Amino acid sequence: MPKVTINDQVYDVPAGRTIIQVADESGIDIPRYCYHPDIGIEGSCRMCLVEVEKMPKLVPSCATPVVEGMVIRTNTARVEQAVRYAMEFLLLHHPIDCPVCDQSGECFLQDYYMEHAGHASRYPGTQKTHRSKAVDLGPLVKLDRERCILCTRCVRFTKNVTKTGEIGVFSRGHASEIAIHGEVPFDNPYSGNVVDICPVGALTSSDFRFKVRAWFLKGTDSICAGCSTGCNLRIDHSARASGGGIGGLTATEGKIYRHFGRRNVAVNKSWLCDEGRLSFHTMERWPRLREARPLVGAPLEHIHQRFETIRKQHGAGSVAALGSATSTNEALFLMKKYFGGLVDFRIGHETETYQKMQDDLLRRLDKHPNTQGALDLGLASTLGGLNGLVDAAERKQIRAMWIAFHPQLVGNDPDETLAGLERLVRALEYSVVSTTHEFSWVAPASVVLPMAAWAEENGTYTNYSGRVQITNRAVAPAGDSVPLYAMMSQLLTLSGIQVTPNPAAIFEWMARETPEYAGMNYATLDKLGVETAKEMVR
Amino acid sequence: MTPVRGGYAVDVPTINVSDRARQEHATVWSTFRAFGVTLRRLFTSFVKRDMPTISYPEQQRNYSERFRGTHILTTREDGSLKCVACYMCATICPAECIYIEAGEHPNPEIEKFPRQFNIDMMRCIYCGFCVDACPEEAIVMSREHHQAAYSRSETVWGIEKLMTRPGIDAKGPGYRPNRPFAEAKLYNPKEKDECAWPSVTDERHPAVLYESMIQKRQ
Repeated sequence: MPKVTINDQVYDVPAGRTIIQVADESGIDIPRYCYHPDIGIEGSCRMCLVEVEKMPKLVPSCATPVVEGMVIRTNTARVEQAVRYAMEFLLLHHPIDCPVCDQSGECFLQDYYMEHAGHASRYPGTQKTHRSKAVDLGPLVKLDRERCILCTRCVRFTKNVTKTGEIGVFSRGHASEIAIHGEVPFDNPYSGNVVDICPVGALTSSDFRFKVRAWFLKGTDSICAGCSTGCNLRIDHSARASGGGIGGLTATEGKIYRHFGRRNVAVNKSWLCDEGRLSFHTMERWPRLREARPLVGAPLEHIHQRFETIRKQHGAGSVAALGSATSTNEALFLMKKYFGGLVDFRIGHETETYQKMQDDLLRRLDKHPNTQGALDLGLASTLGGLNGLVDAAERKQIRAMWIAFHPQLVGNDPDETLAGLERLVRALEYSVVSTTHEFSWVAPASVVLPMAAWAEENGTYTNYSGRVQITNRAVAPAGDSVPLYAMMSQLLTLSGIQVTPNPAAIFEWMARETPEYAGMNYATLDKLGVETAKEMVR
Repeated sequence: MTPVRGGYAVDVPTINVSDRARQEHATVWSTFRAFGVTLRRLFTSFVKRDMPTISYPEQQRNYSERFRGTHILTTREDGSLKCVACYMCATICPAECIYIEAGEHPNPEIEKFPRQFNIDMMRCIYCGFCVDACPEEAIVMSREHHQAAYSRSETVWGIEKLMTRPGIDAKGPGYRPNRPFAEAKLYNPKEKDECAWPSVTDERHPAVLYESMIQKRQ
């Protein structure tokens, strides 16, 4: 392992790293535009120049590997001057339209100008080159050529990550610009990522564009529930009630505005698929279920009594539950406790497909985030999934059921699933459906309870590879909605087992009883999650 | 320390009212002097018609050029709204009373325009920060402050009302710091109704006096 000195501090680093990687790992800030850890090295922006002893010129730290005995300085006057000159060149023809630019507030140009440059332009503003604005590159991405600094992050993304190569740099010198090849649109399932990685306001998302300014947003780290990959993301949602007391326009409940890829090298690098990126719009597809039906004083006490009477009349096997692989581990665990193991979660083909890739990057065929978690809890029981439960209900073997249904965040739920659920609800003597939206198949249910959706509750998902990750609450549940784990802990409390409706505490209880999760808790899971010990599972 | 009285553990001073009256030369005669003041005012207002009050609201004073009244959304030469929906005003607004929804402008040079621009006038505290923050001088304030309404919903003003309401410029614009105040008329005590407050170019204005004082010190 080579020993290098950065700013008089000695670091032991693995061979083959570049200077900027070492600096990032040691918390030393080096400004950069073109460098991004997941897309390959270009070295075109000249922002990351550092001084290395015995080298006559400054070297780009993103493209220089460390060697034994290197003495690096990132804060000398020479480096500062070089960065200032680089900034001056990059801003030479920049339109400085920050007030209308969507990137402002999270723009590298703004941040580095304040931090490293602070110069007054020496170029007459009236002579700036004007280029085309609001060019459609594809259905999700718009390009503003005036703001572009030609860092080629987007070009390298299409070249090295998706390997589709739709975007390129065309023409030479001052005329060079980002463009697509002829009329072929930039339309691949991962196109939204170029908006995330664009360091300036050149690439903007057609979906997010002009919706809200970046400084009104609050980021909550969470997990995508679109498929079993479990990509890490940041949910950007409203942080304050803009519009004050204006009726109907106040965002007090919170509104999700966009998803932003969160770096987790073990799962998704920095990427998200477009379906997952826009999956929060699924919540807007149907009207939300806001209150319980029929409205009784204390619905859960009433439900508990009904379940108890049916159990007494027809035996313990007559009451079961159907969760889904979109429910969190915590909710499924409590469900298993309350229904004495008579819980299933298979409403489609989750167990067969959850490890199969849909393409060679991220997407998986199973559109449920927690299939592995449900399997770890042993919920693939003898009940035989949705079809088995429908049979049992029609044979009057099962008379009462709790059905917790959360729609798929990506794509439509299969028609046979919805038809099966409707048959199940009709066949049951007493059915409790806890769901998120007003679905038509819910109508014949005895009791309908509003359930908090994804991003409205805390919990954990276990992804296809067995990585347990925390999904966080970003916005308030709609209307009277309550998270499933809260409803289940209330039922358990009614049945005599005291449960605090706290996901962290429930997870610790679950970790004690489930061998795969032994020794885990919310503190060890943290932001990036923990892989379950492979030799113990499967 | 005097004994505690009336529940207060403090030393309460006693004022001798007749002593004070003597000090101020207040006698029975001063009562009649006071009547005299009233009578003199009666004479000046009814006979000489010199009244400091006006018959509001039929008569109204004109306020200063810096008056922070209700807002005006200004327009370009072609009559379109100047606002580019940059949310600077909504960001700075301490009362959080501005609600904007941006849309894509057909001209990519302009980029954005407000589909909705609502100000909750009941929530607004008329601080004028929105005017200071605006990079386009798209929002200025008027010299008007009347906004009686029959319901609360009427007090949320949309683009139309902020842009074109009857009598919007009858009194001239109010607070708009980006336009030079030199244009403003100087204070003339003879034209009492013209301008109640001196403009900042007036040498006697506290702001100008203060500035010149600082300059002298340097």
